Amino acid sequence: MNKINFYLLEYAYSYIVRHKNKNIFIVTVFTLLVALLSTLFFITSSLQYELKERISNQSDIVIQNYKAGMPAAIDTALLDKLLEIEGITAGKLEVKGKYYFSQKKSTFYLLGVDAFEMQDDPLIVKLLDQYDLSDSEMLVSKNVKDVMNQAYYKEYFNFIKPDGSLQKVTIKAAFDVGNRVELKNLIIMSKDTLRKIFGYSANKGSDIALSVANKNELDFISSKIRLLLPNAKVTSKDDLLLEYDRLFDYDSGVFLSLFVIALFTFFIIIYDKANGLSSEEKREIGILKAIGWCVEDVLHAKFYEASLLSFFAFTLGIAIAFVYVFVFKAPLLGAIFTHENMLDIQNFQLNVHIELSYILLIFLLSVPVYIAATLIPSWRVATLDADEVMR
Amino acid sequence: MSLFKLFFLFFVFVSTLFAYPNYSDSLKSKKIYPMGKKIFQKKCADINVNNYKSYDALVDAIKNTKGCRKLKSSYQEALALYLWDVQREAKVVEKKYPSLAVSHKEKCPICGMFLYKYPRWVSMIEYKEGKKVYFDGMKDLFKYYFKHKKDIKGIYTRAYYTQETIDAKDAYYVIGSDVYGPMGHELIGFKDKKGAKQFLFDHRGKTVVRFDDVTAAMVHKLDE
Amino acid sequence: MIKLENVSKIYGKNIKALQDISLKFAEGELIILKGVSGSGKSTILSLIAGLSKPTFGEVIVDGKKISKLPDHFAASYRRDNIGIVFQKYNLIPELSVQENVLLPLFPLNLPREDMRQKAKKVLEMFSIEHKSSLMVRNLSGGEQQRVAISRANINDPKIILADEPTANLDEKLSREFIEILRELKSKNRTIVVATHDPLFFELDFVDKIVNIEHGKLL
Repeated sequence: MNKINFYLLEYAYSYIVRHKNKNIFIVTVFTLLVALLSTLFFITSSLQYELKERISNQSDIVIQNYKAGMPAAIDTALLDKLLEIEGITAGKLEVKGKYYFSQKKSTFYLLGVDAFEMQDDPLIVKLLDQYDLSDSEMLVSKNVKDVMNQAYYKEYFNFIKPDGSLQKVTIKAAFDVGNRVELKNLIIMSKDTLRKIFGYSANKGSDIALSVANKNELDFISSKIRLLLPNAKVTSKDDLLLEYDRLFDYDSGVFLSLFVIALFTFFIIIYDKANGLSSEEKREIGILKAIGWCVEDVLHAKFYEASLLSFFAFTLGIAIAFVYVFVFKAPLLGAIFTHENMLDIQNFQLNVHIELSYILLIFLLSVPVYIAATLIPSWRVATLDADEVMR
Repeated sequence: MSLFKLFFLFFVFVSTLFAYPNYSDSLKSKKIYPMGKKIFQKKCADINVNNYKSYDALVDAIKNTKGCRKLKSSYQEALALYLWDVQREAKVVEKKYPSLAVSHKEKCPICGMFLYKYPRWVSMIEYKEGKKVYFDGMKDLFKYYFKHKKDIKGIYTRAYYTQETIDAKDAYYVIGSDVYGPMGHELIGFKDKKGAKQFLFDHRGKTVVRFDDVTAAMVHKLDE
Repeated sequence: MIKLENVSKIYGKNIKALQDISLKFAEGELIILKGVSGSGKSTILSLIAGLSKPTFGEVIVDGKKISKLPDHFAASYRRDNIGIVFQKYNLIPELSVQENVLLPLFPLNLPREDMRQKAKKVLEMFSIEHKSSLMVRNLSGGEQQRVAISRANINDPKIILADEPTANLDEKLSREFIEILRELKSKNRTIVVATHDPLFFELDFVDKIVNIEHGKLL
């Protein structure tokens, strides 16, 4: 196949148009199939990428104390004890938690910081470099500032402590979280102030975060800690990755059933095509042979016909999926992935992050199959004696 | 009061004067020194630790410095320990070693594997005329080393636990552990004996050796 | 020019379309194959065109044993030497006159200008060039007939085969068709017409009339 034969291409195009209804049906099903499958792939690969990004910002190991099966305060003495373990290269006692602002039905995420401690999160590092926080000040995200503003808290905010009294903290500045949508409701203040708000005593915190320089040792050290602290919940970064991988289990129901239906219809079409052509179609092939086309020419034209249809449907399907997922952020269907996993799809940016291998896979599953299904019966007919035409 | 009690009281009195805090080395190097360093850089970089003859004098000076006098006492202590131990006594020396970063094309001369895939295991011999040869583990490095011992400027590897670059000649190696490198059984390097011993215990290693203890026979045994 | 030697065509096990037929046509002759539907005349045409192969016997055209030709050569033989006019024309209604006429040449992928010239030449020959860009769907019966004949002549074939060409035409158009045949004969084409239209049997320029009944010559 050297040059594209535009005459045959034109013929193929007119052939498609002449059988409009049937071809519209084929294109619709094909497009739907491709669109569904690509939507599935786009959403999951995009979510996975984003989650992995988030996890990369977290500490290697996080330890929470549990009492009566519920998270409890953890003591700084434990941190000192853990730092003795070889392989743990740094650690800190974290004070953080959620604060429910009932007036505006908002939940803030409060993070206590120590200006001189190790800090992994690049956003926090940047903010702490920029601002010097005293014990009576805090930094809030833009979203939080808006919420507080709406409640007429413009320069400071009164947190309600567990004993009912108030803790007034001045808003030093508001910051932009950029694409870190998961930090939309973040408030940063000094650890000691936060301790007062949450009712933690002086040496206590919400969890301990540890760094392990050699990721090879991560699992081993996690197990060591679990043995050392039977009452604690020890979560390593690897554990999180595994859990998120598990969450994106492709067997999740609704999507698969939609997909199966589309696949089923697609294969019915293939079967129908592969099983033979209508007498009209046979006739046309006969005529072409009679006027001097050889089998190769007929197949050439049929190839163009199948390619035009399938390429068009494929591209359309991918485009629809793309717009649906990345422009409209997958309304309705996207929730299937996140509601089950208790994540909120609204919290995800769904940045364009496509793995080309998936697209290639969808392409190979659909386009060549369709082309083959078109060519095979045409070949069978074209190689028969075309004397039916003479009648 | 008996003489003994007197001595005892005197001892207690004296020790509280010299209030040099007693923390473990791990705690100090992992938590206190990094914090102290940050405080020093951010708040009062103008303190010169060499001006003070005792630890207590340093502590007093900090309490009077403009930048650092308002800090919490725990921060001041961290700062003092950092300045005293690291800057003055050089208990923890921050040495500068050549980087062990490799390009995508670098291959180990013994086994031919691409080194960029195994950044945790990269080890290097630097020769006096400037040539640097990289390996995917100490085992392969030793194999090469035994045949090219002349004119070496330095040998470097990564400490297992901290991933810092260390001087291979000063390091402690554990053989026969259940941790495999890219070439199978390896000599795993540690900055200090304590780390090597802990690793030996954790990962069922057979022995701890130093660089000069390593023989060709030992290395070959690892390949069996 | 055209020779059938002891040709038999049997479909399946028992359907004998032709039985031991031997025919000889010289170049430039106009031959009428006379017989009713199902007599086998269409089968003879398709054998000459190389569209089917004889079960027994040989079909020789211009010295070549066309029954032995593999598909690719059979197709180019057909394209270069044979022009077929079908009973139902078999034009593509949604394509233009020019496109229909050029349809046999599509696979050759010739330059557009060459194609246009060829089309023009043959459409002028049959006085339908002025409708060259119209869709065939919009033409009258007679005009479509002329397009069909133009297509059959696009490659200056030596042999024209026509299968019941006047079956769907009124007398006027039938006569027009016959005049076209006369013209083609004057250009030394070998023409074989399968028909049972009596108009053909009294023509002065017919060279041979072959009677066929139940696959046998009479």
